[in-house]
Amino acid sequence: MNFVAEHRLRNNPADAGQLAIWMEDFAKQARLPLSVRQAIDLALEECVTNVFSYAWNDGREHWVLIRFKADSHEGSGSAEVEVEDDGREFNPLAFPPVDVSVPLERRPIGGLGIHMIRQLMDSVTYRRENGRNILKLVKRITA
Amino acid sequence: MPITKKPSQDSVELFVSGRIDGALANDLEVTLLETMRSGTKTIYVNLAEATFLCSAGLRVLLQHWRQMKNAGKVLWLANPSPEVDSVLTMTGFRAQMVEGAPPPA
Repeated sequence: MNFVAEHRLRNNPADAGQLAIWMEDFAKQARLPLSVRQAIDLALEECVTNVFSYAWNDGREHWVLIRFKADSHEGSGSAEVEVEDDGREFNPLAFPPVDVSVPLERRPIGGLGIHMIRQLMDSVTYRRENGRNILKLVKRITA
Repeated sequence: MPITKKPSQDSVELFVSGRIDGALANDLEVTLLETMRSGTKTIYVNLAEATFLCSAGLRVLLQHWRQMKNAGKVLWLANPSPEVDSVLTMTGFRAQMVEGAPPPA
């Protein structure tokens, strides 16, 4: 089965609920296993939160493109989400990994979102094209 | 109501349900601040009905866990749902914040 969908999300808190709705639709239409759905749901939330936090500082309205894709046959395949924005160059993968063995008393507050994306996804890649950041998250689907 | 409060003699238990996304994390922060100001010595954040916990929620929990600890008090996470428990484990929060979790090796 193949499924593709593309949406645009404004950097406006009023639109924040849209992402969960599109994610639910993706999961249902692509018949994603629950574990895959939960992993992508959380990784995508973290990804979009990072974009909204770091991509722009001009106080203006911007759009983030979210592309969903699933490709599976007899229960095996992959589900992908790409998040694209026109903000300043920002590669979340350039941040060093979080050391989760550091006691909480001394743990830095930041970096958790990117850590979670890395842990949840089977593949995370970043590229900069035509002035746009594109982060691709891939999760395998296994029978 | 996503957050309900149940005070008892020496503690307060906050029941948080649903998606702890950025918006609910903000509400949780407000509730934790109010609860801490009441002077309670122990706060339990019950996550049995929470279906999702993002990094904004984790940051709120960490900041208030530290504040309680620095004040000689304690904040525990109680009964995390499987989804939330998975997040607490992958971020290394579980051992120190979940009541009854085995200490780190």
